[in-house]
Amino acid sequence: MLKRRDFLKTAAAGTAAVSCPAVLRAADGPIKLRELYAKGGGFSELATEMEGKRLTVEGFMAPPLKADMKFFVLTKMPMAVCPFCETEAEWPANILAVYTKRVVDVIPFNVKIETRGVLELGGFTDPDTGFVSLVRLSDATYA
Amino acid sequence: MKSTLVASVAAIAAATTAFAQDLPQAGNDWFTAGQERLQAELAKQPNTSKAKNVIILISDGNGVGTNYASRVWAGQQEGGFGDEYVQPHEAFPNLALVKTYNVNAQTPDSAGTGTAMMSGIKTKAGIIGVNENIVRGDCSTIEGNTVASMNEIMTEMGKETGIVSTARITHATPASAYAKSVDRNFEDSVPEGCTQQTDIATQLIDAMEAGIIDVAMGGGLRHFLPEGTEVAGVSGRRADGVNLVERAQGLGAQFATDQASFEAVDAAAGTPILGLFEGSHMMYEADRADEPSLAEMTGAAIAALQAKSGDNGFFLQVEAGRVDHANHAGNLARVVADQKAFADAVAMADEMTDDADTLIVVTADHEHAIAFNGYCGRGSDILGLCMGIDGAGVAHTGEPLLAKDGHAYTVAGYLNGAGSILREDMNWAGVRPAVDQEDATDLDYNQQALIPMSSETHSGEDVAVYAKGPWAHLFDGTIEQNVIFHVMHHAATAE
Ligand SMILES: [Zn+2]
Repeated sequence: MLKRRDFLKTAAAGTAAVSCPAVLRAADGPIKLRELYAKGGGFSELATEMEGKRLTVEGFMAPPLKADMKFFVLTKMPMAVCPFCETEAEWPANILAVYTKRVVDVIPFNVKIETRGVLELGGFTDPDTGFVSLVRLSDATYA
Repeated sequence: MKSTLVASVAAIAAATTAFAQDLPQAGNDWFTAGQERLQAELAKQPNTSKAKNVIILISDGNGVGTNYASRVWAGQQEGGFGDEYVQPHEAFPNLALVKTYNVNAQTPDSAGTGTAMMSGIKTKAGIIGVNENIVRGDCSTIEGNTVASMNEIMTEMGKETGIVSTARITHATPASAYAKSVDRNFEDSVPEGCTQQTDIATQLIDAMEAGIIDVAMGGGLRHFLPEGTEVAGVSGRRADGVNLVERAQGLGAQFATDQASFEAVDAAAGTPILGLFEGSHMMYEADRADEPSLAEMTGAAIAALQAKSGDNGFFLQVEAGRVDHANHAGNLARVVADQKAFADAVAMADEMTDDADTLIVVTADHEHAIAFNGYCGRGSDILGLCMGIDGAGVAHTGEPLLAKDGHAYTVAGYLNGAGSILREDMNWAGVRPAVDQEDATDLDYNQQALIPMSSETHSGEDVAVYAKGPWAHLFDGTIEQNVIFHVMHHAATAE
């Protein structure tokens, strides 16, 4: 059986963009948050292919920055903060800002969710929170 | 004396061989392997030379349980069942168990444990290079309560010293080599009114200027740069406006921030070396890109210290800082990958030095709230599900064992942390989610935990200390953690 990694390798080796299996898969099934990023930074091929398209990403809802917002941050693992190791919460390298259709109904940080929305790439500063994101889902739903 | 000892060893060896040949199990592989180990133990000779070099490698959070998971994983990566695998430090001839508690904490933290190993005294949690008279966070209590670190003592002896970590170089364990601070969190500033000490990053460059630290490599660049300054994509955090990188360069230090500048460092130049490869901690080994591995940094540090110290020798502290962080995240896949990177650093240190004149000490500062389920068959993936034991064979059955709730369960789990199955939205009740092998072995998986916490905790359980080289045989029995300092010091000063 091909592993995900091998899929990506195959995708990288392939020439025609439409044949990228990860892109085909992302059109319906959920993808993992880390698949949007290239190793060491930057966007993955999957992310660039899917820009402006609707896709589903799995992850965890980080505890919201403010109440009653139409915005939350999706992390690949529950946001763990070590009070002994760190003086402050630090965002992990790979996160996804999610702009929702409706006001966010908070889901506990340790419960896995899937969120579906339109993928946007590029730097953006949230006017309400000052939160800077590089990758976003807009018009999103989640469960 | 030595020759009679050898003679009697030979006599015992002959006697046991004769005994062995009479038994029906004498031809069994386990039996012969056991006999071989016995012979190796009988042939062991203590090394009572003076240690020219001392290297201590600390895997933060790698207690006996975490180390077990890492052993099995490394073995399974090579296609084995895992249990039979031997990590480099596990082949060392000497070992003790270590009690890690801090003076005021049954569950220790890395500041108290680092101070125990670097200065020979136990102290309170959260404080560095100072004794237990300190009130944590209160600078006015520091006077008269600082202690000397192994790096300072070795420098006095004419040796060169270095620190290498995958955590921020201002983080507790590396800081215990050079800093005196009433709080481990004073990484780039001290509270207003605190005039009795400086921040930890400043103390590192002070130590570099004083010739105490010759090589420092790790993360934490942001603590060395002023606010508003950006170097290698990292924004400075220093409110005092001081650029410590420029200060170090003014002292002649070579400075590296990525793989290319790391490789460009001239180890033989005799200058101080400052490598700061991330704003905060360096990347997990599983995610690492464009920054050196722990083994590469260890190799470069040893090469530089050897070149500079010549016959005087050196002292080096190496820390795998992120085994701890991955445990805190409840994410065993990153724990074991970082511990493998640590094991590679141990092998590098061993390869580059001579057992005759170099004491190598491998240990952890504390354990975590990790635990293991049963009864799993041989070769059950240490990250994945506990598979059944096959009574007719050796390898597991391929069928996951089921708990009373009808679900499979993983080999490893955590007592607390973000992987908790309890949910705030259900009034902290919980139902254990079903887990399959693909989910459980995913890089981002959190092994299931019980008590809900945003971060899995340390535990007070023992860790091991493994050693080879001069006076390594003094590591024996169950010891207090501060004894590690005393053995290293004895080895370096023995006549
Ligand atoms: Zn920790």
